[in-house]
Amino acid sequence: MLQRVISPPPSEQPPATLAGVTTQARQAPPAIPVRQRWLEFKQPVSTPSKLLLGIAAWILFLLGWHLAATSGTEANPLFPSPADVSGSLWNLFAERGFHSDVLASLQRILLSFGLAVAVAVPTGVLMGAFPAVEAFFSPLVSAFRYLPAPAFIPLLLMWLGTGDTQKIALLVLGVIWFLITLVCDTVKQTPVDFIETSRTLGGSRRTILWTVVLPSSLPGIVDTCRQMLAVSWTYLVIAEIVAATDGIGAMMMRARRFVHVDDIMAGILIIGALGLLCDLAFRGLHWLMFPYLRRR
Amino acid sequence: MSAALDLQHGGLEVARLGKVFPGRDKPVIAVEDVSFHVEPRQVCMLLGPSGCGKSTILRMIAGLEQPSSGGINLNGNPVVGPHRERGMVFQGYTSFPWLTVRQNVSYGLRINGDAYALREGTVDHYLERVGLSRFADAWPHQLSGGMRQRVALARALATTPQLLLMDEPFGALDAETRWQMQELLLNVIRKERMTVVMVTHDVEEALLLGDQIVFLSSHPGRVRTMLYPPFKGDDAICTREALRTHPDYAPMERQILAMMREEGGH
Repeated sequence: MLQRVISPPPSEQPPATLAGVTTQARQAPPAIPVRQRWLEFKQPVSTPSKLLLGIAAWILFLLGWHLAATSGTEANPLFPSPADVSGSLWNLFAERGFHSDVLASLQRILLSFGLAVAVAVPTGVLMGAFPAVEAFFSPLVSAFRYLPAPAFIPLLLMWLGTGDTQKIALLVLGVIWFLITLVCDTVKQTPVDFIETSRTLGGSRRTILWTVVLPSSLPGIVDTCRQMLAVSWTYLVIAEIVAATDGIGAMMMRARRFVHVDDIMAGILIIGALGLLCDLAFRGLHWLMFPYLRRR
Repeated sequence: MSAALDLQHGGLEVARLGKVFPGRDKPVIAVEDVSFHVEPRQVCMLLGPSGCGKSTILRMIAGLEQPSSGGINLNGNPVVGPHRERGMVFQGYTSFPWLTVRQNVSYGLRINGDAYALREGTVDHYLERVGLSRFADAWPHQLSGGMRQRVALARALATTPQLLLMDEPFGALDAETRWQMQELLLNVIRKERMTVVMVTHDVEEALLLGDQIVFLSSHPGRVRTMLYPPFKGDDAICTREALRTHPDYAPMERQILAMMREEGGH
């Protein structure tokens, strides 16, 4: 259409060869094919591709593991294949009542983490909200943060015996100092303008704490809890290595005595899976609690 | 509604106000011997170059900052700290992100347990006043900058303060939105018949909205001169265009700009 309108009258038509060139030039130029590159800074990846890439990483990992474990002429009992480990995982649950160990560990984690949160969140919030409270607690908390929790095991054994109390105490000690510090830092980021806005609207100290400081920092606090729960899981095995009769860590220590490497690996796998589930649960909680933070 | 509000509104007396901040080497005098008076239902603009302490003066009136010397009286009562009788709109966005627009506007009433005002549709009244009725259930992050400042304005008005304080509320907005907001504010002030003290460094804004302009010099902040623009009292002037074509506008603007330039030479 456009071509016809702007084409010159027949009398002025240039020679055929030239005409062909001009016509071609007037047509919309073909899009220059841009090579799609895999690695591009900050370029978002579509959800299916993301899923595919994630699964590919797992498949490669398991494949590498499998090849490494089966490359020798005979099976190495110290390095079982993925199939061996999944077999022993099945065996553990189906025949050796592993679920009671898992439940015992889960109970210790939840109880200890609940206790840590119950102490750390109020303390951290007050420290973050009031510099005077921070000045009081901060030197103590900072010092304790650098003491390795496992170093307390001998003391805890003497004070609390070999029961669950000792293990829960260790798990609490492992996360509580970091939890306090991180909650305090989160609360300190409450914008001053928010606090002053509430003051000019007649907000008392208590009102501001409950209606401004807490809601403003709650998303950060929940995120902190999610991260510290992961640390709790890493302390679990340490807590259950010493004088434990049940729990995932105790099972792994028993397996070590009989060189059941596949059982140990199964234990590691279960801890990883449970840790991941906890993480997902916290992410879900975050999503439910803070609708205003969801992407538009 | 307006009739009930009128009885509460009063005058502001700022007397020989001074503020000294402890500096690194020596104390810094931010505000020195500043006095002015704002009649009930008048709009007072604090205008001056940066460093003239205009925000500090406003913060002292709000009670967020303690004066080093002098005093402030509102309706004969001395100002000793923040109070809901003095509402404030800040320069930055202060809508609480965890509350919807309606919850933000009703925040002041809720924390004061003002069940009566909550029941009587005060919140809806102010939402409508700032043109946000349709967005009552939106989250602040879904709004533009101008709309967020309208939320802050409605929230400050909802507790029916005797004095509205504004600290360069439109400073963060783009030019077009700022003009819209100035016209909206002019409209709201006329309808609600508020006593207002507003900080600005925008000469046009000061002339459009103010009954009275306190022009401050810098380092330290002192009152250099008082001006009384006639435009806000003139109901015919409700837009920028009407303001700019007024015969008194250009000379006044020139006078203030000249003073601004002198002060900038510091």
